[in-house]
Amino acid sequence: MTGAMPTARWQLPRLDRRNRWIGGVAAAIATEIGVQPTIIRVSFIVLITVGGWGLVLYAVAWAILAIGTPSQISPYSPVPKGATSVHRHVGVAMVVLGLVLGFLPLTSELFRNLVFPVGFVLTGALIAWSRGQREQEGISIVVRVIAGLVVAVGGLIAFAALQFNLVDTLVSLVFGLAVIAGIGVVAAPSVIRMAQDLDGERLGRIRSDERARISAHLHDSVLQTLSLIQKNADDPNRTVQLARQQERELRNWLYGTTPDNPHAIRLGPALEDAAARIERDHGVTIDVVAVGDNDDHAPAVLDALLAAAGEAMANAAEHSGVDRIDVFAERRGDTIEVFVRDTGIGFDTAQVPTDRKGLAESIQARMRRAGGRAQVHSFPGEGTEIELVLPIPASAPRAPGGTP
Amino acid sequence: MTRIVLVDDHALVRAGVRAELEDAFSIVGEAGSVAEAVTIIAREKPDVVVCDVHLPDGTAATVIAGCVERGVNSVFLALSVSDAAEDVIEVIRAGARGYITKATDGAGLIDAVTRVSEGDAVFSPRLAGFVLDAFATELPESSADPELDRLTNREQEVMRLLARGYAYKEIARRLTISIKTVESHAGAVLRKLQLSNRNELTRWAADRRIL
Repeated sequence: MTGAMPTARWQLPRLDRRNRWIGGVAAAIATEIGVQPTIIRVSFIVLITVGGWGLVLYAVAWAILAIGTPSQISPYSPVPKGATSVHRHVGVAMVVLGLVLGFLPLTSELFRNLVFPVGFVLTGALIAWSRGQREQEGISIVVRVIAGLVVAVGGLIAFAALQFNLVDTLVSLVFGLAVIAGIGVVAAPSVIRMAQDLDGERLGRIRSDERARISAHLHDSVLQTLSLIQKNADDPNRTVQLARQQERELRNWLYGTTPDNPHAIRLGPALEDAAARIERDHGVTIDVVAVGDNDDHAPAVLDALLAAAGEAMANAAEHSGVDRIDVFAERRGDTIEVFVRDTGIGFDTAQVPTDRKGLAESIQARMRRAGGRAQVHSFPGEGTEIELVLPIPASAPRAPGGTP
Repeated sequence: MTRIVLVDDHALVRAGVRAELEDAFSIVGEAGSVAEAVTIIAREKPDVVVCDVHLPDGTAATVIAGCVERGVNSVFLALSVSDAAEDVIEVIRAGARGYITKATDGAGLIDAVTRVSEGDAVFSPRLAGFVLDAFATELPESSADPELDRLTNREQEVMRLLARGYAYKEIARRLTISIKTVESHAGAVLRKLQLSNRNELTRWAADRRIL
């Protein structure tokens, strides 16, 4: 056997799940010694049929060999063909058939006293220990253990009842149960304590991971900004800007909503981003309130709206003469409305200064092209409000995978 | 002169707020914790309590509950760096008449204190946005008091304008109603926010936090 893999230290072969019929034992052994898996399978069946030792061998091998895919696939089975459930069912049927054929005479003492009970226990253990597909794990583990216990214990009781006196069987069963219960009672506290310790340890690890994550973030963001602020203490504008930027960033980190889909954007955070840019460039404060929309949108849908809102904010920051701008966005049904408002000098919409007219028109043109509209409300001395309305058609290309 | 107690666990913040308010109001006490706050408020019986939301031994809601228990009927104005929906809703539901963030400037703070002391509700644009969001969700039919769980059209309109940054005066002119009417709408919304039976309101707030 050792000659099979001359390059590396010999290791136990692993169960070959891809080529398995039942547990992959035959396939693994075949791979290891380099023969057709069928040969091994037939040998197992023969061994099971004559005397039942094949079953014991198979079970022991199955228990020892760990699960895995062999690093080297058997040259005799280049195509993984044993993975279908049909093959597995055929394999199980053949084993059962072998058992039945082997035990049919039922004359041998050996069969009666050894193979039968061992067979039941092993079958039960097989059911309990068999590893299902990954996605089936969880509940099915409990089910499998219970089913295995029923087969093993039930089979043994039935067997014993047939062989011996029913009363004797029950008495020894009660004894056995009493012993198991005793062991359980004695061992329970330490088992429970072990489980609790394990839980506590896991919790502690999660906590310290979380703490490490938070302190790493605070170090990268808040501490950096604080030291920047110390350096810029003479420049109040820069200090305010830094603080504001950091506040926004931290707030977003703490309470922010990140879309589930990296290719999607959300109205609120997208507007916050736009506002943060204007704040940085113009040294104003912009309060963004977004209501009623938690959908992920494809960036193209909101493109025009965000650009127009950004222009409106920049416009207000430059011309209004105040350093405070309110932005309110609301989704009502299939329409998104955005209001950008300042309480600054305002102007007469009938006699628009050319620079503002140009801007208003560019905002309006942008919104029109996207199928929406824009309107400017303003009076001299009473501030300005720009209203943007964008219908989102029901068939709008929602970001793929976005939550409805 | 309106008598005020300041509650905040940071002495620096208290000093800053005191500096802003000192000229307009008389500040009769300061506290740095829930226990301290309840004792001082019960003793001084101020007109307005300006209260930080997060305190070392509780929240503004705990302070309000403690004061209500002692039969003090001061008006509470919550002042916080946090504008997380959960915090806002909790404090308002406990009975605060207003909620402003610490980003508010001196004039805004004085205005807010004046307004709550006159029995008015103070909605920041953000709080108005929270209200709209919370009441916008569809209601299950079994709601105990549908009256409380819905905003009238007019109330929605007022909230929307508040969220857009309008002052009461401007809203009154825009909707051609009196300021008193705007105030009564805002008061009604606040009452609904405080009394609403909907568990969704709390769940809504909690959801925003985890999202």
